[in-house]
Amino acid sequence: MQMKQISSLVFLLFTTLFFAQESKMTAAEITKFKSTIEKETKTIKTIKTDFIQYKHLDFLSKDIETSGKMTFKAPNLLNWQYTKPYEYSIVFKNNKVYINDQGKKSTVDGKMFEKINSLIVGSVSGNMFDDKEFTITYFKSKEFNITKLVPKTATIKKYIKEVELYFPKNESTVAQVKLIEPSNDYTKIVFKNKVINAKVDDSAFTN
Amino acid sequence: MQKWTIRLLLISISFFLFSCKTYQVSGEKLEISNSKVILNPYFSNENLDYVYKTHIEVYGNDLSGIFVAKKINDSIHRVVFTTDFGNKLLDFEISNNSFKVNYVVEDLDRKLILNTLEKDFKLLLKQSFVVDEMFENEEYYIYKSNAGKRFNYIYQSKTDDQFIKIIQTSKRKEKLRLNFDSKEGKIAENILILHQNIKLTISLNKFEN
Repeated sequence: MQMKQISSLVFLLFTTLFFAQESKMTAAEITKFKSTIEKETKTIKTIKTDFIQYKHLDFLSKDIETSGKMTFKAPNLLNWQYTKPYEYSIVFKNNKVYINDQGKKSTVDGKMFEKINSLIVGSVSGNMFDDKEFTITYFKSKEFNITKLVPKTATIKKYIKEVELYFPKNESTVAQVKLIEPSNDYTKIVFKNKVINAKVDDSAFTN
Repeated sequence: MQKWTIRLLLISISFFLFSCKTYQVSGEKLEISNSKVILNPYFSNENLDYVYKTHIEVYGNDLSGIFVAKKINDSIHRVVFTTDFGNKLLDFEISNNSFKVNYVVEDLDRKLILNTLEKDFKLLLKQSFVVDEMFENEEYYIYKSNAGKRFNYIYQSKTDDQFIKIIQTSKRKEKLRLNFDSKEGKIAENILILHQNIKLTISLNKFEN
């Protein structure tokens, strides 16, 4: 390899690293970011989006990938539907959880997972800034505004060490969620083809 | 009075005989060499992540999630159960003679549950069986392998050599059964773990890539 190529490679590496790096938001930036999100979240009536879920376990050679569709209607209707590699959907409605597992239907009160699942619900809609439950820090990178939430209560701490929410610059909804477990294994959910405030019937939340 | 005593005696003898009936396989016994060992092809490749959708039915309750197993060295498998959302429920390392829990959620942290899963997965992930007796019938070669107070019967198909099922018994009756369904005999696409004395069924269906 010629010297010129090496130097451009180093330059490329350096700049990529540089831009990938995140820095803390200033107090003024935080206030502005929070108020924008809170204001815009109020205008969200529905969200329809595809998602890909990556489960990272350190000992595996690759992440476990599942994917599907999510539909949300304010204030608290949610249908989280896996379509690949299997059909499984879970509807949150009237504080109950309705499951359709490859045609097999059941209802749970879902004590065990309710907290974690409501974390996902809240994070998709960006409605997560609960200072009582979490210690929140704010970062920015070239592409994203990033909030990092560390649970305060012992019950959640047992399951989750930190939640990271990635908001694309100039967007008020989340493009990526990372739920990090105490062991540092994590679940990463990436949202794609998001449509805000499309017409969604209540029938989309029957399971 | 004597009549009653005899009748009672007969009943207890027949009861005794019935309850003492030892577990038997249907097949003819074959001669084997002393050192025969058979290898379990499933979960044996250290380069593969074995990922399954799982359903657990326990006393009428239905749990769903993802099951992952990986052989991490010659003797140990790492096993993880998560919910469909990816939240880890149980994480352990298991070998023929060890069981180390790395993580378990509170709701599953019961001795009975963990002991049962330990037994089930020790059998599922057991890589080799020393053959103590061998039988055959029309469909299968059946290998009997002694395991302490229990016995494992491994059923191998005569047509394609595949492992079809493993039945674990006490001296007298079946305790645990593993059914395998495999396309090529190297990976089991569908697995069913059935218990006889507790209402627990675990089904595993491999992720399609």
